Amino acid sequence: MIQVTKKECTGGSIGRITLDRPEKKNALTPEMIMGIVEGTRQLSADRNVGAIVLEGNGAAFCAGFDLTLCRENSDALDRLLTGLSGAIRVLRRCEVPVVLAAHGAAIAGGCALLGGADVVVTHHEAKIGYPVVRLGISPAVSAPFLRQSVGDGKTRERMLDTSLVSGWEAYRMGLAHECIEDAGKVRDRAVAIAEQLASKPRWGMAATKKWMGEIDGSFGADSARGLDVSLSLVGSAEERERLAALWMA
Amino acid sequence: MANLVELNVDGAVGTLILNRPEQRNALSVDLLGALHGRLDRLRERCDGSDGPRVVVVTGAGKSFCAGMDLKEVLGEPGAPLKLLTSLAEATVKLRSLSAVTIAAVNGAAIGGGCGLTTVCDFAITHADSKMGFPEVDLGVCPAVVAPWLVRKIGAGRARAMLLRGGLMSGRDAHAAGLVSECVDSREGLDAAVQSLAERLSAGGPKALAATKRLLNELDGSLDIELARRSAKASADVLAMPEAVAMLRAKMGA
Repeated sequence: MIQVTKKECTGGSIGRITLDRPEKKNALTPEMIMGIVEGTRQLSADRNVGAIVLEGNGAAFCAGFDLTLCRENSDALDRLLTGLSGAIRVLRRCEVPVVLAAHGAAIAGGCALLGGADVVVTHHEAKIGYPVVRLGISPAVSAPFLRQSVGDGKTRERMLDTSLVSGWEAYRMGLAHECIEDAGKVRDRAVAIAEQLASKPRWGMAATKKWMGEIDGSFGADSARGLDVSLSLVGSAEERERLAALWMA
Repeated sequence: MANLVELNVDGAVGTLILNRPEQRNALSVDLLGALHGRLDRLRERCDGSDGPRVVVVTGAGKSFCAGMDLKEVLGEPGAPLKLLTSLAEATVKLRSLSAVTIAAVNGAAIGGGCGLTTVCDFAITHADSKMGFPEVDLGVCPAVVAPWLVRKIGAGRARAMLLRGGLMSGRDAHAAGLVSECVDSREGLDAAVQSLAERLSAGGPKALAATKRLLNELDGSLDIELARRSAKASADVLAMPEAVAMLRAKMGA
């Protein structure tokens, strides 16, 4: 359900990590998150790869965790949150820049992945946000990275309010760095940006990305603190009841 | 050497002019040495009772500042670190002035030159200027300017901007948050800067200085150790043989 491919371009190649479960809007399983981590490691170890695109097949980038897995027991939610936190940090640590194509929807765990990317492309009508507190789940795992993109005030709004924002609003607040009109062209645009990044000297990109991570705290203990908070609620009566209610309706 | 950076004080407003127009005001060891001298002098005057309350930073000629002058230090062991440390320490010194600072971006502000504009409290440019951080295009690392850009536009936007490299128009620099104002043409710049300087200098000097001091504390602006580490991070890349080879080829040296 994760495809890892390479595409040749001027001055080297780019890697593509594609979420490929379109019938479920690329809802994430623990295995898919591992696939993102492994794909990132494999591609960044390849000296020919100068940038990575993270994207989704079908109508949407990613609708979040596959909650059907969490219905019976809480282990899956624990694994999903832990995996997601690790994946964001692996994306931040990887030597080459990561360009993420947020088309259609990037919701909950899907929105959290934006925090690991260096450049995010979206479109005006995309739906973006963290509507998870109503399920008794805390999106705290994303907080350290969301703060870097949108500042403290907007982070509060987006973590606590379950409403979604449009791609245009996400761009305005700094959650995305480019916003185009056409949902169908977001992935092509992400590839074009990645190719442009891959044409630059790899050593300078790697040093710059590493330095940005050092000064913004990507590699520090704070980046994992949100995970502890999210995990502390897993298996709570509130979460069990609210998740169960999803299938009662 | 003394006139590589000019300092004029006219009442409440001081002006620092990077004055090496034949090299587009590129930051050489000597120019940065002169800048340090001027900043030390300015600090004394700003701390005095009738010192300038606003300091305008600008460039002589058509450019604001073309960035680091790497020609004289490239391949010399230790020289890039010395140059970059001088820049990093100058940025902290500029930020620590009690006067409010305005970068009047009269023309190209590139790399370290664009970095200087982000150290100022305000920056104004015109639609036809060129601003940006093309370091990654040249295989170097904009480590010294990175913390300033993070303070100016936030960590997420700074990350995307520095990794993407390239240059932008004054108009786009305004949209990206690099400058607080963008006038239509070079002709209109001086009046806009003067108008802002007058507005700012109308503030109570103690209130301005105290507010600026607090803001500097809150955002870690005066962290000299971080500034020095940033110089080291940038110099480490400049010491890489592949970076030296690429820069030599680009500079035709």
